[in-house]
Amino acid sequence: MVRVMRSSPRCPFLFPAVSAAVIVVLMFASAASALAGLTDHVETETLPNGLKVLVLENHKAPVATLSIFYKVGSRNEQVGKTGISHLCEHLMFRGTKKLGPEQFSKIIQENGGTDNAFTTADYTDYFEIINARNLDVPIRLEADRMANFDPKGFDAEKAVVMEERRLRTEDNPEDALYEITKAQAYVEYPYHWPVIGWMSDIRHLTLKDALAYHAMYYSPRNAVVVAVGDFEAKRVLKQIAEAFGSIKNGPEAPPFTQTEQEQKGERRVTLKHAANLPALIVAYHVPNLRSPSAYPIEIAGEVLGDGKSSRLYQDLVVNKQMVVDVSVGYDMTSFGPQLFTVSAQMRPGVKTKDVLAEIEKQLAALRDKPVGAEELQKAKNLEQAEFVFGQDSIFQEAMLLGVYQMLGDYHMLDQYIPSIDKVTAAGVRRVARKYFIKSNRTVGVLVPTGLLPHEAGGGKQGMIR
Amino acid sequence: MKSRTTILSLTLVAAVFAIFATGSANALTIKRMTLQNGAVLLVSPQHLLPMVTVDIAFDAGARRDPKGKAGLASLTASCLTLGTKTLTPEEFNRKVDFMGSSVSVDAGRDYAVAGFTSLKKYEDQSLELLAQALTEPRLADKDILRKRGEQVAGIKSSLEDPGYVASVTFAKKLFDDGPYGNPIDGTVESVGKLTPADVRAFYQQHYKMGDAVIAVAGDVNPEEIKAKLDKAFAALKGTVPAQAEPEAPKVAPGIHLNLVNRNVAQANVIMGFGGIARSNPDFYRLQVMNYVLGGGGFASRLMQSVRTKAGLAYSIYSGFDAGKFPGPFGVVLQTKNKSANQAIHLVLQQLGEIREKPISDKELAAAKKFLIGSFPLKFDRLSSIASFMLQVELNKLGLNYADEYPKLIDAITTQQTLEVAKKYLHPDAIVLVVVANQREAAIKPADFEKQ
Repeated sequence: MVRVMRSSPRCPFLFPAVSAAVIVVLMFASAASALAGLTDHVETETLPNGLKVLVLENHKAPVATLSIFYKVGSRNEQVGKTGISHLCEHLMFRGTKKLGPEQFSKIIQENGGTDNAFTTADYTDYFEIINARNLDVPIRLEADRMANFDPKGFDAEKAVVMEERRLRTEDNPEDALYEITKAQAYVEYPYHWPVIGWMSDIRHLTLKDALAYHAMYYSPRNAVVVAVGDFEAKRVLKQIAEAFGSIKNGPEAPPFTQTEQEQKGERRVTLKHAANLPALIVAYHVPNLRSPSAYPIEIAGEVLGDGKSSRLYQDLVVNKQMVVDVSVGYDMTSFGPQLFTVSAQMRPGVKTKDVLAEIEKQLAALRDKPVGAEELQKAKNLEQAEFVFGQDSIFQEAMLLGVYQMLGDYHMLDQYIPSIDKVTAAGVRRVARKYFIKSNRTVGVLVPTGLLPHEAGGGKQGMIR
Repeated sequence: MKSRTTILSLTLVAAVFAIFATGSANALTIKRMTLQNGAVLLVSPQHLLPMVTVDIAFDAGARRDPKGKAGLASLTASCLTLGTKTLTPEEFNRKVDFMGSSVSVDAGRDYAVAGFTSLKKYEDQSLELLAQALTEPRLADKDILRKRGEQVAGIKSSLEDPGYVASVTFAKKLFDDGPYGNPIDGTVESVGKLTPADVRAFYQQHYKMGDAVIAVAGDVNPEEIKAKLDKAFAALKGTVPAQAEPEAPKVAPGIHLNLVNRNVAQANVIMGFGGIARSNPDFYRLQVMNYVLGGGGFASRLMQSVRTKAGLAYSIYSGFDAGKFPGPFGVVLQTKNKSANQAIHLVLQQLGEIREKPISDKELAAAKKFLIGSFPLKFDRLSSIASFMLQVELNKLGLNYADEYPKLIDAITTQQTLEVAKKYLHPDAIVLVVVANQREAAIKPADFEKQ
């Protein structure tokens, strides 16, 4: 899942550590750490205005989290207005009828909490983690900015978002390649454009656009509020109902109608970018959790890319030593049609086409031969462990409850591990044969152009004054 | 969670919420013990989930890299999980993955941390693998050479990140060849020259239990885990010889400009000077002062000035990186090339202002409320509880740290934050690194110095 956060984590990286080892990033790790059983303890309520509320007690530390999800993301945007979801998210911190710009965060911090927000293609999430005693503060503040959105300093915030795009995408070869590959893979479906939006669109967004967007999508019926932590559920349910109960719904949003047609033939895209090393993304269209194929696809991802004993790591990093890193991405919880991706960055002197051939060889092995019993069990064990580890974080628990609720019902979480357990070697082979084929893939290749500007030589050092 | 029986308990909640009293009955309990081999063990039992986290800090961080061998601590750490005397690297990885555990050794700047996270049912097997990796690692030539190649490739990849280039350049300028002067992973040149013999020697000299600290959080019983650790690490005796503290960096008066030319859309700026060690008693005053200056996110002056008002940056912060030795103070930001001069000007303005006028009572109160009130957020998961325990022990903060911290913070006055701002902030003797498209950025001191 691509998330565009409102602010970067506040850790000084004056001494950055390069991860020399290859790190396999699994985008589906969050889905893997589902929390079956725990849904039994969730208390829930739907307010008369349509707002859905989920509350879960967790008493391990005197801390609580509030997370409010709006079912709006970049897929709801229109051509020419991309980035409005994310800009709207930023503007939510720019004040209400009662609050000045950034006062929201200051109040949260003074109450011993931290706050942030992020936008995805599907939804927008605002969250606070705070000492449990003060959970009523974010509850009131979130209700206020749902009802009384009145941002100040629009132009400055737009400039901030353009800086964010420069930081995240323009100066980041990996993200730039993902953006262009995705734009090639999705033709009709609005996952075509980046969550942060195209630069020319961001530049021309107006305050009027944002106000209209908020009025339409930031309605109680379009939101899910989740609270998890060290509190009494009944009391928090009551606080939420009091704060949000009187908020009125805005105009109806237009129905979502887009789909993606089957891909008929390989697509390729090349990006020349300032970089040292070539990089590669291979993306296959695959279904999301609405299809029973989602679980065998998830297991295929584990077999290929989770852990140092995974096939791609063993082959490309250890044995052939061709890549700096290789990773597999699949998020079955997306609202729309999903991509299964394999990404790699070449070692110096290694050709992209050789790595692409090697990745294809590994996918062919999945199509041709059933995964062995021990390897299948290993993949399931990895899922089981991540499932438990995920429950160690109240933020993660709130995330999963909110996302599954937006998908229809948080109880679907209970099906996660049983569905994983039912996956068979034949099932993995079946999805590999169906989806991991050449005519269904988009290949994005990053061609490095070096790190220096084209017009200039090296840097200089000096002392002034 | 109800607090469980332990001998020494760290009554976090009572202390922290003396000011913001909570109704919660949960407390973080920590038991401190000493292993037979001398290692200090801190255990926090947490029985809500069937999982266990173990972290061991060794005096084997990058600050121990010998001269000319930058990156050796990091390479050694990553080589330790490449198999054991009885397991090939492949067998080792397969065993770890089959349990769904993570077993790792990573070198940081000050310490290397080895450990695992596993399900309770795999605790013994995971511990066995970690113990084998640490007491009888394979360290075969061919595996070390492969890892070395990986590390060099990783550095080349990192050099694509202008923020990495800025921080490496900044550290080099400030600390030169001192323990904090080189990147943790070393440089392409230094790592390329490391040998398997270097790795084996570094391992022999620095992975000693005598001065290690072990933190265990999760579904364990303190006495049981102590017995297991005593048995597993009986062989790793001895201590690491003390390391002489380096001279604190001194920046001569003036603005020391370091420009690196890159084909980028944004100028990556780091500006700063020498800071403090964690043991410096001014640490807490500086924490409050820096919260107001640039550590407090959207509550901070730098964020308000450079992001909220001027719209010049997405991310801007300042911080004292307080380590075993005095680390740097730095302000870090990114802004489009063309606005670099303006952003630097605004930062210098804020650095000047906080040295001239005391912060307001309101700012002081807000900083205290956050620092004290958010303290429990450090314990919201096992991994953070484990790293908190390591910090408490390594920095000799005492098991009553959670009781002491609110008192230390609450006693600070605006006069004291002014004093430390004057003493530790030096906008007139500053290292300024700008990684940018230099033609577009056109860095000019006349444009950013006092107008």
